[in-house]
Amino acid sequence: MHRLLDLILWTPMIGVLGVLLIPSAMKNGIRIWSLINTLATMLLTILLYLNFDQSVPGMQEAFSVKLPWIAQFNINYSLGVDGISLPMILLTGLLFFLCVLSSWTIEKSIKAYFALFLMLQTSVFGVFLALDFFLFYVFWEVMLIPMFFLIGIWGGENREYAAVKFFLYTFAGSVLMLVSMIGLYFLSGQGAESFNILALSGGKFSNEVLEVFGGTFSLPKFFFVMLFIGFAIKVPVFPFHTWLPHAHVQAPTAISVILAGVLLKMGTYGFLRIAFPIFPEASVYFKETIALLGLINIIYGALCAMAQTDVKKLIAYSSVSHMGFVMMGLAAMTVQGTNGAVLQMFNHGTSTAMMFLMIGILYERSHHRWIVKPDGSKGFGGLYTQLPIFSVVFIIAMFASMGLPGLSGFISEALIFLGIYEEFTTMTILALIGLLIGAAYLLWMFKRMFFGEVTEEVREYQDMNKREIFYMVPLCVAVIVFGIFPSPILNIMKASVGSLVSLLAQFQ
Amino acid sequence: MNLELNYLASFSYIIPEVVALVLMSGLILLEATFKLSENNRTILKYFTYFGIALIFGTLITNFSVKPVRVFTDSYTVDSFGTFIKFIMAFSALFCIRLAFQSKDIADQHKNEYSILVIGLLLGGMLLVSANNLLVFYIGIETLSIISYAMAALKRTDYKSSEAGLKYSLYGGITAGIMLFGMSHIYGVLGTIDYAEISIRLQTLTNSDLAILLPSFLLFFAGIGYKIACVPFHMWSPDVYEGSPMPVTAIFSILPKVAGMGALYRLADTFFTTNESLMISWNGLLLVTAALTMTVGNVTAIGQRSVKRMLAYSSISHSGFMMLGALSIDASGTSALLFYIANYLFMTLVAFYIVSQVTDHFNNDHFDRFSGLIKSYPVMTIVLAITMFSLAGIPPFGGFVAKFNIISTLLSKGFYTIALVAVLNSVVSLYYYLKIVRLSIFKDSEEVKIVGFGIKDQLVIGILALPIVMLGIYWESLFKLVKSGSLLHF
Repeated sequence: MHRLLDLILWTPMIGVLGVLLIPSAMKNGIRIWSLINTLATMLLTILLYLNFDQSVPGMQEAFSVKLPWIAQFNINYSLGVDGISLPMILLTGLLFFLCVLSSWTIEKSIKAYFALFLMLQTSVFGVFLALDFFLFYVFWEVMLIPMFFLIGIWGGENREYAAVKFFLYTFAGSVLMLVSMIGLYFLSGQGAESFNILALSGGKFSNEVLEVFGGTFSLPKFFFVMLFIGFAIKVPVFPFHTWLPHAHVQAPTAISVILAGVLLKMGTYGFLRIAFPIFPEASVYFKETIALLGLINIIYGALCAMAQTDVKKLIAYSSVSHMGFVMMGLAAMTVQGTNGAVLQMFNHGTSTAMMFLMIGILYERSHHRWIVKPDGSKGFGGLYTQLPIFSVVFIIAMFASMGLPGLSGFISEALIFLGIYEEFTTMTILALIGLLIGAAYLLWMFKRMFFGEVTEEVREYQDMNKREIFYMVPLCVAVIVFGIFPSPILNIMKASVGSLVSLLAQFQ
Repeated sequence: MNLELNYLASFSYIIPEVVALVLMSGLILLEATFKLSENNRTILKYFTYFGIALIFGTLITNFSVKPVRVFTDSYTVDSFGTFIKFIMAFSALFCIRLAFQSKDIADQHKNEYSILVIGLLLGGMLLVSANNLLVFYIGIETLSIISYAMAALKRTDYKSSEAGLKYSLYGGITAGIMLFGMSHIYGVLGTIDYAEISIRLQTLTNSDLAILLPSFLLFFAGIGYKIACVPFHMWSPDVYEGSPMPVTAIFSILPKVAGMGALYRLADTFFTTNESLMISWNGLLLVTAALTMTVGNVTAIGQRSVKRMLAYSSISHSGFMMLGALSIDASGTSALLFYIANYLFMTLVAFYIVSQVTDHFNNDHFDRFSGLIKSYPVMTIVLAITMFSLAGIPPFGGFVAKFNIISTLLSKGFYTIALVAVLNSVVSLYYYLKIVRLSIFKDSEEVKIVGFGIKDQLVIGILALPIVMLGIYWESLFKLVKSGSLLHF
């Protein structure tokens, strides 16, 4: 059992080696191998879930791995899992498996595609599993390389611009994180635990100051702001969000799914794992700012989404809006708020993945994504009568994303609102307006695309095939089951979230 | 009697330098005596390789030697210097190999090139080991004079001649300024010996300091010109662009590394004993390093020639390397040594690939790299790795090198410059990505590049191996540079 995390982390890399060994002429061989590999990884994550002890608040000792890596700097190869990272790991395992199925139709140099895709999976797992700050940083950065190529080679028309923008933005955030990480190393005395995230946590730093030109600045706050920008770019929080629409729209379907479903969560996970526990005092100090930025995300993202005529861009902006809820939930620093935020991270992962997959399925038939074409004519019309199965699945995805009661989005948003109401009453009410706008743009989009007169093109579209139905079913099940019965996910995170909240409460 | 014996005994410490000198003179004699047929040239080439191998061997024995000062304290032999000499010899070897492949240097000049590179190596060794101002000056001038000749190696090409002329004019002026500064320093301190200088600095009056500071500034111009830091960098893009490719390759490694070594030694001499000197030095270095990085990076963005882009990128890298000199202690010097070891491999790989592509197309415009992945996937991936590493993205060596420099800075509390440095990495990523993006995302017809035979690809691959290895496992190299990081003894 104690090698399980190693296995989860490195199985995709074994997959990469396998892909490289299979000759590129055997296209189906590469696809099937990748599928088996991601299936194995997913089963390993489920095994992890089954063996997880829900009552332990911190890291699960049974799974922890710690090996020395670079002794001079006390850097360790140290992995661990707790209730906050486990939902993310499950989500990663599930989405990568489904995305291999969704990538079945890719024909352009598929060997490189699947190699990079599996490499991406290892780096994502690395971020969620790492307990050493240096290791975390390395995985965080390594992830950019496969992403850059996946967007840049297999993306849409404007892919190069999107790939470069994505890379530069994230790199800018992460170098600030680097400064903060190294600064923290010296602040904590360069000891044996100076890169250990757990040992650094707990609010040990509060009074250290930096003197610049006679003035004094609080070092923990400075570091927190650096970390905040680094993570906020990934989430993305309002002023740093401009890379996201480009990257989402240009990326191929599977990569959009991974980007929205998993990578955005790395940002909020960074807050939960690093920024908040290490600098609780600074986090409390900045909580209004974080909540306000979250609110701007919600309203601004929703309004932007409403204005889009490209349906993929609309979904991309809806992600901005939904991640705003997560940010608000985190900023409240209450038990419900944080629970809701983590649950929303998981639920948004499934529902937005569904949306992107549905758009991808549609795109394979239509080869465009316009709700309203640039010349003003209708992009789609009457899809509902032509593609019944597609429409039903789409409705589930849409309502889950909207937060309709009975589907997963509702529970997490309700929890978030419960959590933040006491703390930020006015902002909560404003955020509710965001929810309303959210319903409006989704329903309006649905009306324009699925109802109305059937256009000529739409008549020729085929409904979803078996493969497509097969990979949508698990997600449908997930959004419905967790909408009615969220406790499997809530129970695993409860203890860990509780300990984080009580830590933050000491500094309120 | 005793003095003569001491002198003779001193020679045992400078065997690498002696070998280089003998090799250089031997090559000159051989080339002058024999008519160079194709066959003879190949023999000379292997003779050069053999000579450099000898230099390597003697350097390795120097590694274990305890630090000493020889020739009446004018010359230091320690592991810091030996490590840098090792790097320089390595770059000399591979640049000579590149020159014999490159079309940029005419056949009859290929052997001249290797002679000049050995001379450059000798000058670099002198500079790194210099322990008084005179030897320092001799070192820097040996480097410079040979560099002028090298820049103009392509005699028929007006750009190359222009580069040579520009270089020598600029170099001549800075050498004059530097000498003027040195004479002032001698006037104030009454000695040219580094060890003496650092002792006498402790007992300076304020009026002495007032003279010493500007004269040091003049002195700094000389070394700043050698490492191409802003504002003494103007010559470098033109010279780099005009010179033949293998010359540019050696220029961006050997003199720079030697200058860095000398800079660290100087900083150690002048700025560790006197508090007020140290503060002004830090201020000077902060500003020049920040400017060097920023100007280098921002200018590199707009370049259309890959060679020129690499020239500007090497300017920004020297800015990064200078930062380690802000804290002259074990961490700063070991960070520098680690950085140059990485820089060596990254630069060599970049120049090897760019040189072959340039030779094929006869120009080095960015577009020549379009769709390279279709014809040479392995080379393109190696190129991409090198570019990521130059930008400082893990898990490649360039990241670890930058990590070490940044941690040196933060350990001393230089937060602002650390932020400037890391944000500069982001700027640099843009132009490094440009070449990655062109070579991988663009489509083009397949080309057959002669320089990418199996053997050549193997050599490039082996050169690129340390870039990846040092990013993942850097403990052993770090231990090595740590042992070479002590300037005091």
